[in-house]
Amino acid sequence: MNPLAEISLVVQRELRKNLRSVKGIILTALSIFGGTGTALLAVQAFHREFANVSAEEIRIGQQELFTKVYKDPVMGSYMSTAPLSLVFMLELTIWLAPLLIALSSFDAISGDIQHRTVRYWTVRTRRVSYYAGKFFGVWATVSTIVLAMDLCMWIAAIVKGEPAGATLSWGIRFWLVTLPISAVWCAIATLVGSLFRTPILSLLVTLAAFFAIWLFGFAIARGAEVAWLTYVYPNRYDVMLLSPRVENVGGGLGICLGAAAALTAAGVALFQRRDI
Amino acid sequence: MSESPEIAPPPAPPYPEAKLEPKPEVAGEAASLDGTKKKKRKPVEIAVRLVKVTKKFGAKVAVDDVSFTVKMGSVYGLIGPNGAGKTTTFSMLAGFLQPTMGQVEVLGHAPTQVDELRSRLGVLPQDALLPAQDKVGEFLRHAARLQNIPPDKVDAEVRDVLAEVDGKEWYDLRCGSLSHGMAKRVALAQALLGDPDVVLLDEPTAGLDPKVAYEVRQLIKGRKKRCTMIVSSHNLQELEEVCDAAAILDRGRVVASGTISELTAASEEVHFKLGRPPAGVAATGYRDGSGLPLAAIRELPIVKRVEFDEERREIVCYFDRGAPDPRGGAIDAESVIEAVLWVLLNHRIRIAGVTKGRGLEQRVMELT
Repeated sequence: MNPLAEISLVVQRELRKNLRSVKGIILTALSIFGGTGTALLAVQAFHREFANVSAEEIRIGQQELFTKVYKDPVMGSYMSTAPLSLVFMLELTIWLAPLLIALSSFDAISGDIQHRTVRYWTVRTRRVSYYAGKFFGVWATVSTIVLAMDLCMWIAAIVKGEPAGATLSWGIRFWLVTLPISAVWCAIATLVGSLFRTPILSLLVTLAAFFAIWLFGFAIARGAEVAWLTYVYPNRYDVMLLSPRVENVGGGLGICLGAAAALTAAGVALFQRRDI
Repeated sequence: MSESPEIAPPPAPPYPEAKLEPKPEVAGEAASLDGTKKKKRKPVEIAVRLVKVTKKFGAKVAVDDVSFTVKMGSVYGLIGPNGAGKTTTFSMLAGFLQPTMGQVEVLGHAPTQVDELRSRLGVLPQDALLPAQDKVGEFLRHAARLQNIPPDKVDAEVRDVLAEVDGKEWYDLRCGSLSHGMAKRVALAQALLGDPDVVLLDEPTAGLDPKVAYEVRQLIKGRKKRCTMIVSSHNLQELEEVCDAAAILDRGRVVASGTISELTAASEEVHFKLGRPPAGVAATGYRDGSGLPLAAIRELPIVKRVEFDEERREIVCYFDRGAPDPRGGAIDAESVIEAVLWVLLNHRIRIAGVTKGRGLEQRVMELT
């Protein structure tokens, strides 16, 4: 059996386990109802605020807003036609995904090591396949939950009067943008989680690591001399991934997937050497 | 009681006289579960080989320079008190732990070469919990799929192996809801999935009630000759019952190894356990062998030496196995038993039991 077949079997099991367990159901429900609900409330407020504003005025306003946010007039122009509700949903998703990832993945490997369940699997599957399967399993789980949230939002946006074509086109694009970013967070979470035998310790350290990365990328580095630290923060690459320029998208994809691959390779190297 | 002759520790192979045939499929092609032929493999005579294996946890040496070899088709025991290094040795064989030094081979491969050992090595870990959320069937199906059992054969294979551990009704039960005994048997079932060539069993009957423990022992016996089994256990009677050979570990080192017969000296000595003495002898209670026909036994030409173990109230007769018996044939344990019993019964000595050798338990107590 080749490693890809092994990984595929591990991923299928992880997906089943994550989406069917009590923890998985609660996380999915909270994400869908909480995330979508918050986004809908924001959209409602937006519609109330701009009820008497024409579509063209809104487009111009959006263009100014996004030019300012992304510090790029091309991006501002490109994003000016995106349904604002979906943009809000994208930002909310990127912002909250690390929390969802931490809660989904903290016991993926540490739980198996704690109860030594891992011993049933490592006699049947290469450790690299087991580890990679866990990583892809968490990534697939989180991506599925995010897609479910997005689906709710797309339906709500269409019901509210957004054009279906634009909603689906932007919606799918935004969902795809979340994938490489969440891959990096998943790789970090899987790596940290695999270092510990106790799931609660794994959760705490994962959250601490995520907070440190957030501080690097978002708070400390902004406008400071250590601005280069923002490159550690995966969410900063949304600009590249959203860009209409192919080279930017390629760069963003390369950085995110490269970082995820490097972190996973490091995790595999450590996991292969350790006693279980 | 006199000192027993020491059994030399490895590197010598522990039981060269074992003549058990390897499974046919190991020696060449074999039909797999889907009817296709497994890839050809070189004939393997040695199932497991440990060469000067040491495992350290920090400064603590858990296993120290251990070497032994297990031939295909045998049942081999790992024996020793707590902390002797049984489970550490077992874990290195299963690939859970990596040796600090030395070499571990299972069927000619490192235990971490999963693809080479897929479906050829089954492992029952001692304290690994089953995934609580999984149903028994689901857990075993996933294990079977990872073993590359064809999807259309998986369910039948899982149900067969569950039936073998007497758990065919458990298919839809959640692993978390199983009793200790049921969980142990499900864990045993996963170790037997795919009819592996080598099965490692760590404390297979620990914590089981006597009935279930008996059933597990019967299951192990039933698998004898079908595969090589390595059993780690505290239960010495159990090991004596199911194993062909064993290694006795103490403080991380092999202190003795060999066939069960060699370890217990079953082919060199016979123990006659005496019953309660008759009324006339009761006052002394055979103290210092008084009242016993030890001189008459010593005169028997087939008996080399006689001792009386006052504490155990046993007469121990040593003999040279294979030496010519003046009555014809060669001396063996049975001929000694016959001759000595004749003397004892003529002297109206009451016999509570006769054992060949000193029992594995006694041997282990002496060595550890």
